[in-house]
Amino acid sequence: MPSLQLPIGITLLLSTLCSVVRSDSPEYRTIQSLASKYCYECHSEDAGTRNLTSLVWNFDDPQAFTQWENVFDKVASHQMPPEEVSMPAIARQDFLNILGSTLKQRDREKVDRYGRGTIRRLTRSEFQQNLRDLLQLPHLDIKDFLPVDRESHNTNRVSETLDISRVQLAAYLEATDAALRQAAASELVPHKPTKIKFEAINMFQSAGTFGGTEAMFFAKDSKRVPLSGAQLNEVRAAKPLDTDYELAIFRSATWPYYGYPQGFVASQEGFYKVRFSARAVLQTPEFELIPAKASIPMTFRARKRSGPDVSGDVRATGGTMDVQPETGVFETTIFLKSNETFEYSLLGLPQPRAINPPNAPLYYDFPPMPEGGHPGIAYQWLELEGPILSAQWPPDSHAILFGELPLKAREKGSLPFQLASDDPKLDAQILIYRFIERAQRRPLSKAEIQPFLDLTIDELTAGNTLAEALITGYSAFLCSGHFIYTTDPTTLKDRSSQDYQHALAQQLSHFLSNSRPTQALTRLAQSKSLAKADVLTQQVDLLINADTLDQFLIPFTHHWLDLKDVWRDESDDRLYPEYRLNDYLIQSLQDEAFTTFKLMVRENLPITTLVDADFVLVNDVLSKHYGMEPQSGSHLRKVELAPDSPYGGLLTTGAIMKITANGTATSPILRGAWVMEHLLGTPPPPPPADIPAAEPDIRGATSLKEQLARHAADQVCSKCHAMFDPLGFALENFDILGKWRSRYRSLDTGMEVAGIDRAGHDYKYYQGLEIDSQAELPSGKQLDGIHDLKTHLKANARQLAYALATQLVVYSTGTPIRFSDRIEIDRILDQCADSGYRTRDIFHAVIQSRLFTGQSRD
Amino acid sequence: MTDTPQTFHTNRRRFLQASGISIALPWLESQAIASSPAKTKRMLLISNNLGVLDRYFFPEDSGANYKASKYLEPLQIHRSQFTVFSGLSHPYVEGGHSTENCFLTAAKHPTGSQFRNTISLDQYAAESLGRQTRFPTLNLGINIDRANRSLSWTRDGVLLPAIDSPSALFRLLFTNGTEAERQAVIQKLKRQGSILDTINSATNSLNTRLSKNDRRRLEQYFTSIRELEKRLLDSGQWESRPKPVVDEPPPTDITDSARFIEKFDQMLTMARLALETDSTRIVSLMVDAFATGVYHYEGDTKSMTGYHNLSHHGQRDEYLRQLETTDLRQMALLSKQISTMKETRIQDESVLDQTMLLFGSNMGNANTHTNTNLPILLAGGGFKHGQHLAFDRERNSPLSNLYVSMLQNMGIATDQFGSSTGRLNGLNF
Repeated sequence: MPSLQLPIGITLLLSTLCSVVRSDSPEYRTIQSLASKYCYECHSEDAGTRNLTSLVWNFDDPQAFTQWENVFDKVASHQMPPEEVSMPAIARQDFLNILGSTLKQRDREKVDRYGRGTIRRLTRSEFQQNLRDLLQLPHLDIKDFLPVDRESHNTNRVSETLDISRVQLAAYLEATDAALRQAAASELVPHKPTKIKFEAINMFQSAGTFGGTEAMFFAKDSKRVPLSGAQLNEVRAAKPLDTDYELAIFRSATWPYYGYPQGFVASQEGFYKVRFSARAVLQTPEFELIPAKASIPMTFRARKRSGPDVSGDVRATGGTMDVQPETGVFETTIFLKSNETFEYSLLGLPQPRAINPPNAPLYYDFPPMPEGGHPGIAYQWLELEGPILSAQWPPDSHAILFGELPLKAREKGSLPFQLASDDPKLDAQILIYRFIERAQRRPLSKAEIQPFLDLTIDELTAGNTLAEALITGYSAFLCSGHFIYTTDPTTLKDRSSQDYQHALAQQLSHFLSNSRPTQALTRLAQSKSLAKADVLTQQVDLLINADTLDQFLIPFTHHWLDLKDVWRDESDDRLYPEYRLNDYLIQSLQDEAFTTFKLMVRENLPITTLVDADFVLVNDVLSKHYGMEPQSGSHLRKVELAPDSPYGGLLTTGAIMKITANGTATSPILRGAWVMEHLLGTPPPPPPADIPAAEPDIRGATSLKEQLARHAADQVCSKCHAMFDPLGFALENFDILGKWRSRYRSLDTGMEVAGIDRAGHDYKYYQGLEIDSQAELPSGKQLDGIHDLKTHLKANARQLAYALATQLVVYSTGTPIRFSDRIEIDRILDQCADSGYRTRDIFHAVIQSRLFTGQSRD
Repeated sequence: MTDTPQTFHTNRRRFLQASGISIALPWLESQAIASSPAKTKRMLLISNNLGVLDRYFFPEDSGANYKASKYLEPLQIHRSQFTVFSGLSHPYVEGGHSTENCFLTAAKHPTGSQFRNTISLDQYAAESLGRQTRFPTLNLGINIDRANRSLSWTRDGVLLPAIDSPSALFRLLFTNGTEAERQAVIQKLKRQGSILDTINSATNSLNTRLSKNDRRRLEQYFTSIRELEKRLLDSGQWESRPKPVVDEPPPTDITDSARFIEKFDQMLTMARLALETDSTRIVSLMVDAFATGVYHYEGDTKSMTGYHNLSHHGQRDEYLRQLETTDLRQMALLSKQISTMKETRIQDESVLDQTMLLFGSNMGNANTHTNTNLPILLAGGGFKHGQHLAFDRERNSPLSNLYVSMLQNMGIATDQFGSSTGRLNGLNF
């Protein structure tokens, strides 16, 4: 293993705890005498390096503490002193024992006195999820009122980084007001839902689309019926309506396209039920429809009716459905904003390209027909009903705000109704107490609630309506410190107190569900039983098995594994024409990596699944991408791998390979450094500022390995690069999207490959230099490609577990690993060692640890 | 958005130090100190969503000695006051006309299934500068489809509708509102003020329960309350302060959308008045050529077809001739705008020296629906102008780099906006 690895083992050796730490203490005298022998020659004043002679032996000074911690790590990992100083092992051990135990003791004293961390502001996604759950508005979207939270330590949940500013506070005022108004009844009486049935002939707004006949046509008896715009109108006007038509579509919903039903816009925001009948087909050269060989995935896209040119947002909605060669009826629910419509979005199909003939207008041409015909979907009819209303009126969300108070017609105020109340002040009081009791995450005293009640009564007295006065009071509560901050349970001394129990419940629920505690969890806190080991274990299992687990997995993997960056780089169309605008492939790659980790947690798979596994999760497009036996359908399924397959494990998923490349070329440096930082938890130091980044030569003349030879030759470079370049070289057989390759593609050199891509564009690239995935680790060990790399990483299961455990601690507590935490991390890992470092076990061990609960379980 | 709350925080601080006093003073006095140490900068950001004929826009040679292209001829009297750019575009902002809403945002793939717009340059600048003027920004449009198009988008990608009536804009800028309107605004501010009072006292009681470290953390929260209170107060003061007086008579709206060039002229005058009275420092203006039907391109002569059809000229001579005349008239309007802004002075500076006038388009070539090699021109604002800055026409540089330079020129400490990779090389203050 690279020598940057944190010195976990060494902390275990620390035994004695010094009681007094003063600058004239014997400990400091020993440290000084060792340092003057092995350090001060270089690290003194005017030496141009960090001056250690002036570093004070004062651990109350946070800066000095960090610097001493740094010294410890450098010496423990043998980075310092340099080889030529040759520090004897016994001297090193002395130095580390004294400095280590001092650091540990002083840090532990601070933790015991103040707790491990501090209060933490909710992230914007936690804030939104809290409001969704509190107000029972599962699709509330107020997140974007708030600024994006900054990232540090591969998460956006570090307390120190979660600042608040007046911009943020102003955004809270607007966001909570908007959310509360959305929770209130939108009308005095419910709006009647619309119900429409579109026959195929009415399912498309026009007689044709961009890309010509091959992109879309109407058919009868599986044969195209050519229709002009006028003829289409005639068919539509005829009574009774001809229901024998089918609408056949063969293209992606990429621009320019508008494939929505004739004459519909949503009158109201909300969910709409969609039922439709469809089959998967192939288009023959004679424009006939024959049954397809495999299913074709589709979804809907919500957007404004603005023609081919999009204005406003576009959202996939309704989930992915696999349309089969046999006609079938599908049912789903889509979300539309008011004035929006929805279009058919066929996934992974070709797109037409613009042709600009001289002296004539441009037009769109369809790519050439593949063997067997153009795949597509033929629709028979579609039914739409919505918006779907809650079973009772006003909706549940309204009752959370205003209880059972009856509605009356609006005379004043900005809400669409007024509340009928005989005693508004009394009702205000009752409702404020009720709302805060529900919204609070620890029991508040009457005095603590009083300011919100006062505000509401003041607003009422000033002549505002009861509903508006309440919204003002609620908004204030949701913007108050009570709501936007969570407490770190380790800061609460009295572990038998309710406050501690509630803080623990909050920390747990924000960890594993990104939101407030459920009622059941709150009840356990009230009965003060949550901190019991068996209760906690049970609750963690419940949360891991709950549907809400994705609410944790998404933010966690987005930052820890960088899965948010899957969409960051565009593939270079010149070198990789097959990846051009293939959103379906990229989405599937992201889902695969996400689901692989989810499986690790749910099924308690060994941590080595991060780097190797005997299965892979694929769907139709991924099985093709990875060159495996073709699968049908869009859902991911577990497929067993042959022992010699390079795939299996999270590391070699296309998503991770894409994130660690740049769309044009792969970089062993970036990939190696990524493995070090994210999977091994040992981030290499940042690259020196004055060295230009290595640019792969996509002209194909020199190999990256030749360019990077300097990393091994130059002593300064090799110190770090020797650790991670080899890891990256072993991954070179995976292209920018994780597809296996044996040669680099190039723009000028090698064997020519030419053709027409799925968007109808001509392409030409060359199969260039052969890939050399051999590398040598600093230990001298040879890595011959991916299998050796996997074996090497699997042998370091503890280190992989270390990376996950520390990441979970930072994510769940908001506090990065402190010096005194190291020994506890070691204990966590020890607990998981026997079962072979299994993923869910690591979650349990972290949550049971002192770092999470503040309680030592000795 | 990559900016952080912390940055807003410092910007706010710096802004208060630099020009905070002007807020509390009536307009005339605030104008008198407008030239205080931190120089006032403004932006006028214009886009025609069908662009111009590229063949006549871009000069063939680059550098300071470039030979003026046909379209730059009318601007030659200002040669030292503007820079023309080639080889700029927004990376991965493609999809023909769908890109028009991304001209100031650079949001990628406006037709993709995950698309949501991002904050526009004007809003970003206003957010970073804080409220220094009655209107943090003004967003204007000519013939604009207000529901669907705008240059101005919020942080959360919500469209900010443009003002398309010069007379309404004039009232907004220079006519004092009714008592009822004022009261409504003051009422909302008061309500927010009461909420701040409440959360201040409520969180104070929380504070007493917390440890030393927690209290240190919470100090930020109280600072934010104080700063926001001050801003609400400022906003309230704007409401009760009389609006500036101008000599110009209120404009009469041109209702005939076929007279779009005259409308453009009128709106440019309004934009200039807004800037020179310090009613705002940031104006965006979209010429919605796409929504403009058959129009008078020369005197009373009407175009052969609607503006959009015309732009798909397919190399037809008559279409090209009409587009050329149209483009040249717009260039003449820009020239006139630069002249007037040069002549008008605020204290010892011309409005032009204070104002970065950006003219450009999301379309590089409307005929072929391409969104690369965008026509871009920047005048004024105190930059060193007088050149053609040519970037790679095959592999374009990000237009957002120009936006970063403009933001920095405005005194905003950022090195990132949209898809930028840094400042724009070759454009110096």
